Amino acid sequence: MLRLHGVLGHESDTLYHARLHALEHHDGIELLFVPSEEAGRKRFRLATDRGTDCAVSLARGEELVDGALLYIDEEKAIVARFGRQRVWRLRPAHAAAALKLGWNAGNLHWRVRFEEDCLAILLDGPLAGYRARIAHLLDAGDIVELADV
Amino acid sequence: MNPLQRAAGSRIAAARVGIGGPVGSGKTALVERLIPALMARGVDLAIITNDLVTAEDAERIRRSGLIDPARVSAVEAGACPHTVIREDPTLNIEAADDLERRFPGVELILIESGGDNLASTFSRDLTDFWMFVIDVGGGDDIPRKRGPGVIRCDTLVINKTDLAPYVGVDLERMRQQALAVRDNRPVLLTNCRKGEGIDAVVSAIERDVLFRA
Ligand SMILES: Nc1nc2c(ncn2[C@@H]2O[C@H](COP(=O)(O)OP(=O)(O)OP(=O)(O)O)[C@@H](O)[C@H]2O)c(=O)[nH]1
Ligand SMILES: [Mg+2]
Repeated sequence: MLRLHGVLGHESDTLYHARLHALEHHDGIELLFVPSEEAGRKRFRLATDRGTDCAVSLARGEELVDGALLYIDEEKAIVARFGRQRVWRLRPAHAAAALKLGWNAGNLHWRVRFEEDCLAILLDGPLAGYRARIAHLLDAGDIVELADV
Repeated sequence: MNPLQRAAGSRIAAARVGIGGPVGSGKTALVERLIPALMARGVDLAIITNDLVTAEDAERIRRSGLIDPARVSAVEAGACPHTVIREDPTLNIEAADDLERRFPGVELILIESGGDNLASTFSRDLTDFWMFVIDVGGGDDIPRKRGPGVIRCDTLVINKTDLAPYVGVDLERMRQQALAVRDNRPVLLTNCRKGEGIDAVVSAIERDVLFRA
């Protein structure tokens, strides 16, 4: 286990540029893929793409961003990479369906964005869990699923 | 540790672990079991409870003799218990900051939410890790209802396993269903009456939150 505390900087910082570039040449950069729904965490345990088990904690005021540099020494650096935020877009077939969808999304405390005539739901977990909650509306054709997540 | 990071010198704050779940599922009973188990492993601990309009759970823990009563803080959640752990967790954050100030060595703060429903979840601003406690009394169908608490928590605890025979619940089936809706993320079984299954909860906290192994 590699215990990491705090963000050192960003992979684009000029301060680290030369060292990261050198490490890149002998394959010394490890990526820690953080699922987007986990990005707000201040403490987590995840393995890098090379299998290094990282136990990461951040100060309360600190935020993890894509490209955050978490570790660097002569042999390797560890950089955080965020997964893409998965978005589920739904279009209500009529006004009554829109009311029902809005009521459900609010009641379930889903994170949403309004996009014209559809509701974009920012997923924090498996899609099946979300779909099950409004299955009756989907099955009845009241709501149409737009793109894939 | 990385020398650069040591030079940064920022003190590592206590880990904050949320314990949520429906009314009466055994959240306080779990806290009462975790306190001695964690202390036996040398964890420096403090507790926050959330009650609707009283400090009943805090009082219960303070009187238990398990922990220095000054290390137990109460937040009054008002009528909407999920609000103070999710939408506006400032009261709980203040309570946790205050415990860290008063007990500078504290490593772990357990935050029990007020009893709620299957939809309650913790804000990431408040907790680093959260557990959701349900009990077998609700029936083995509960996981299939896919409540956000059941699905999204870091560890699902199914408590009151001792009652399974009396309520006609097949424990293994309930566990399998819970694993299925959770994409195989952790599900643990406990009997807080007898203290069964507590070690596994403590191990999960030590590994995933305290980074001890
Ligand atoms: N049989 C049995 N009873 C339990 C167990 N755990 C808790 N209880 C009982 O269940 C009741 C509720 O337990 P609490 O720990 O107060 O539950 P809670 O989730 O904190 O309740 P609220 O904070 O009011 O939501 C109490 O009577 C406990 O003694 C268990 O494992 N088995
Ligand atoms: Mg309680």
